[in-house]
Amino acid sequence: MTEELVRLEHVDKWYGRVQALDDVSLTINSNEIVGLLGDNGAGKSTLIKIVSGVTPLSSGAIYFHGKKVSIRGTNDAIALGVETIYQDSALVNQLSIARNLFLGREPLKGPRILNHMDKKHMEDVAGRLLGEVGISKNIPARTPISSLSGGERQAVAIARAMYFESELIILDEPTNNLGVAETQGVLRFVRNARDSGHSCIFIAHNIHHVFQVVDRIIVLRRGTVVADDINPKQTTIEQVEKVITGDLEFIDGEMSPSAGAVAVAAAVVGEASPVQ
Amino acid sequence: MSEPAVTAKQQSTWDRAVAWGRGIIGQPEAGPFALLVGAIITFTLLNGTFMSMLNVGNLLAFTPELGMIALAMTLLMTSGEFDLSVGSVFGFTPVFMWFIFNEGIASLEVGFLIAIALAALIGLINGLFVTRLKIPSFLVTLGMLLIVRGAALLITQGFPQRTWQAKDQILSEILVGDIFVPTPWGDLRLYMSLFWFALFAVILGYVLMASKYGNWIQAAGGNAMAATARGVRVGRTKVALFILTAVMAGYSGITSSIRVSAANPNSGDGYELEIIAMTVIGGTVLSGGKGTIIGTIIGVLLLRIMRNGIVMSGVDALAYKVFIGGIILGMMALHSYMARRQRAEA
Repeated sequence: MTEELVRLEHVDKWYGRVQALDDVSLTINSNEIVGLLGDNGAGKSTLIKIVSGVTPLSSGAIYFHGKKVSIRGTNDAIALGVETIYQDSALVNQLSIARNLFLGREPLKGPRILNHMDKKHMEDVAGRLLGEVGISKNIPARTPISSLSGGERQAVAIARAMYFESELIILDEPTNNLGVAETQGVLRFVRNARDSGHSCIFIAHNIHHVFQVVDRIIVLRRGTVVADDINPKQTTIEQVEKVITGDLEFIDGEMSPSAGAVAVAAAVVGEASPVQ
Repeated sequence: MSEPAVTAKQQSTWDRAVAWGRGIIGQPEAGPFALLVGAIITFTLLNGTFMSMLNVGNLLAFTPELGMIALAMTLLMTSGEFDLSVGSVFGFTPVFMWFIFNEGIASLEVGFLIAIALAALIGLINGLFVTRLKIPSFLVTLGMLLIVRGAALLITQGFPQRTWQAKDQILSEILVGDIFVPTPWGDLRLYMSLFWFALFAVILGYVLMASKYGNWIQAAGGNAMAATARGVRVGRTKVALFILTAVMAGYSGITSSIRVSAANPNSGDGYELEIIAMTVIGGTVLSGGKGTIIGTIIGVLLLRIMRNGIVMSGVDALAYKVFIGGIILGMMALHSYMARRQRAEA
């Protein structure tokens, strides 16, 4: 039985006079990887910014485990168990793996006034987690992030989310600029996260990557949800691409040509017809 | 049969020594430290009195005053910002304190607290403009530089404030009282400001390297978006550092005014660039994310020794800026080379 983790109800977001989200309602269940797709400007970034506390919603409501919550900042989102891994910017290049891992939640030791970071604990945990997420190279936890490859960086960010028991991990373009082997590694980390009890929202322009890892696909178009229950096992990539562009509509689990696409097709047929 | 084993052990020790040596050389402080040692040796050879207790005492008198501002600037620059108004605050704060005292408005101690609070307010305004209005710190603090300098000139009508009553005050003894330390080469005159500089260096070094706030400061300068996503209050961290820098500038200005018995509204003019130079020479990155208190201390000592040594060795004192410019370019080239080498090795 699926258990609801996050629910958005009738969420609107306005930036001045521009509406970025229009009456968005959706649900993310526990132990589920949801692909969030849409063209540029569809509202994906705005949606994750609202859930991760970067920007407030204009109207509507958010529920966690069925209880209405108020997310006024990133700390509120973190307290609710939301971890967001932004494209190319999840980590601080100058800091070590261990310091990045605990950034914002540094373990302290010593008397209250003179307390300091427990570096040994930080490095021990970081070393163990690197092994758990499958980074095979023997990388010391003191290594600065700038020395890691793109895939290793994403692995560190995902390991951090798993360590802090984040219930919802939002991954914004995690496979961008990665090679084939590194991409497969990141997709494996995402599956591991789900298998160990985390839910994920996976955002990527490369639909092939989305299809390899998600349980369900939600499509946004011009700020509205146009499909919220696409099963990747029963759908083709081409169909989802058409839903994104508006050539297909997804209604009650069925794909059908959109009114606009039908009109265009009719016009094309009309022009080609010698009778008319 | 035991010979190869000994050789292998020796090889291992040698490898460890080489690795340790490379680690030391790879530190950002290594270059300026080597230059500092070289400068001390060169100036001592050029003029035998360079290392006399009188000259060392003179060197250590002014060094802490710029040094204290440089310490705070190190943290601010690590967070990705900098403050051009520190020279003006250095001049304005003592002028304001002595104005209050000389006009009989308040005691020197109360005047000191009011002046420091005013410096903190200047830092707060700088910080809020940078973090809330998203205006680059270069422009905000440039504007503040002019406002504060203008205010100092306006209050005093351009005339220095009287400070000759400073010697009778307890505050003066606490901030900049002097002691004579006997040494085999004669008495060494040291000021209390050197003690405060050392104390602030220890505290701020601890904050930057060991405390969670140091992690936040480096993260704010390295990747503000990632830091924000992790719940770090980047804006508040930066505002606090702007306040700290302005308070340090005001405190140093007051210290200096008591030591030289003069509060001139024009004092501190051009200090901002010298302080930023001290900080970047030491290895703190101008664009943020990386800072070192030890490097800044080396940078402070290096520039003060260069200024002093140039004069003592008979070189035209006006050549000082040429030397400093050369050192900045040289150090930046060295830091860039080391960073590229580290990346290549990684």
